[in-house]
Amino acid sequence: MATEDALRLYQAFVGQDPAEAIRVIESVRASGVTQAQLFDTLYVPAMALLGGAWANGEVDEFAFTQASVTAEQVGSFVVPPVGRQDTGVTVVVGVMQRDRHTVGKDIIAAALKESGYRVNDLGLDVRPADFLERIEETGARIVIVCAEMLAVAHSVVRVREMLTTAGHDDIVVLVAGSPFSAEPAMAREVGANGIVHGAESALRVLGKVVADLEGGEMR
Amino acid sequence: MTARSSQVLMAEGLARSEQVPAAVEACYDALAVNDAEPFAHCLLAHLLLEGDFYDEAIAEATRAIELDPDCSPAYLALGLAYDRRGGMWDQSVLVWHELAEVVPDLVTAHVQLGEAFGAAQFEEEAIDSWKRALELDPKEARALYNLAIAALKREGMATALPGFRKAGELDPSQDDLFFALLGIRSVPDRVVDPAKVREDRDSRLGAAALAARADDLFVTAELVRMVLDEDPDDADALALAAFTYLKQEAANEAMACALRAVAIKPDLATALYTLGVVYSRRAGLSKHAARVFIAFTKAASQHALAHVLLAESLLGLQRYSQSKKAYRVAIRLDPACVRARFGLAAVHLTEGLHAEADWEVRRAAYYDTRRQGLFWRLYDEYAEGGAS
Repeated sequence: MATEDALRLYQAFVGQDPAEAIRVIESVRASGVTQAQLFDTLYVPAMALLGGAWANGEVDEFAFTQASVTAEQVGSFVVPPVGRQDTGVTVVVGVMQRDRHTVGKDIIAAALKESGYRVNDLGLDVRPADFLERIEETGARIVIVCAEMLAVAHSVVRVREMLTTAGHDDIVVLVAGSPFSAEPAMAREVGANGIVHGAESALRVLGKVVADLEGGEMR
Repeated sequence: MTARSSQVLMAEGLARSEQVPAAVEACYDALAVNDAEPFAHCLLAHLLLEGDFYDEAIAEATRAIELDPDCSPAYLALGLAYDRRGGMWDQSVLVWHELAEVVPDLVTAHVQLGEAFGAAQFEEEAIDSWKRALELDPKEARALYNLAIAALKREGMATALPGFRKAGELDPSQDDLFFALLGIRSVPDRVVDPAKVREDRDSRLGAAALAARADDLFVTAELVRMVLDEDPDDADALALAAFTYLKQEAANEAMACALRAVAIKPDLATALYTLGVVYSRRAGLSKHAARVFIAFTKAASQHALAHVLLAESLLGLQRYSQSKKAYRVAIRLDPACVRARFGLAAVHLTEGLHAEADWEVRRAAYYDTRRQGLFWRLYDEYAEGGAS
């Protein structure tokens, strides 16, 4: 099946017929091939056929270029989706009050957004009351509090206290920053549920947290 | 031409031939005769810097500048000494600023000035300096790497990654890698004449590769065609054709030829390289690029840049720890690989390891400036009687 379809796609390229190329792609998609698989199962063999045809002189230089233009025109139909799917999970992120170190927070927030999380970025110098307010506004159940200074890191406990006072014991508080990486016990002292050691760690920890929360209904 | 004493000339000769202890001794001999000779002081500063004697290098370079405020090589030695010593960013900023004034078209002075500003936490000024460097030379890869790091700090990896890739494409070492795979180390000094190439497959392919190295893509295409006319399944010829299309920004033609080559010879390094580069430039194909580059690193495991390409594709997949491993392999193979050091700095930043990231940027700067042989360029220009 795949070889036959690839041949048809190749012929559409050489015939400079983007409409036919799209018809071939859509028929293969309709047969159950996912968007993520289309590139490998259809486009790659068709392009290899095109390369072979140019090499053995079946298509001349001009036709090769024209066929490549057609291939380009339909490329977006077969390329796997660029962005990750929306996870539907909202995460509130911010740098704790009296701290203005934003680099770590920005990198974590960007990585989460790229992975499909709905990130509510409160910026820097965020008061505990602002974390609470945004959590209540968005219905988020995960908050990442960043602190790069030791004195500020100790004060993250005020976020947990405020959440508890407002009856949000179930909110998952994650902390990030050098003081917590250097002294993991401090995270427990300030009432955090876990530590995030950078972007990849954030994705890993959040993956686990979301799985746990989904275990007992989430969102 | 500025007059130099015979002792300084001797020290110069020894320093150029990397006989450091003898050159240092000759410098001190020169200073014993005349303590007010800026050449001897700046040469000594350069030599002391090579031996990691930063404070001594700072003292000698400072003395050279006191003796002649236009002594541009002394500014270079002083700036590098401050940077490598660390913790002297204010002074470093001043020195690079001075060098940029003394030699306004010296791109590296602006790049270094940006790095000094960055280390002193003046991010906006740093970005302005790198942009100034790019105005002077739009192909200044190190300025682009620095801008990519700045973008990472502000907006995350997705914004920074295109900057890394663009810088990588400008980096001449990427083409060097392809030609190294073909056994070609330098640009040929003679033009390839297709009419004079022997009529056998190996001679034609060899000549085609040399022509490609010299950027003569028409001759390359002609010779590759001759090879393919005799054997359309010649994977090496197809891979070279793919590379020439890639050089002409014809990504689909390059992909078609590379895919055909890989279908014939799945572990052909030159074809895997081109295919990986084509994939890495296209949004949505990061995973494909990583897959191809994994195969490529197996086929070209001793080339540092192969691991860098893999690392960059892994950055696109947010696999930072795997990317770090690949960068580390690259640096082990080539400690002077600027691209790997900037990439590793980026990974460190994603982990919140700012000091480690700064250290990698400083090492990259050191190797890059050293690679350019800038001291001797400035020294010779200064000796000729002008700062620029």
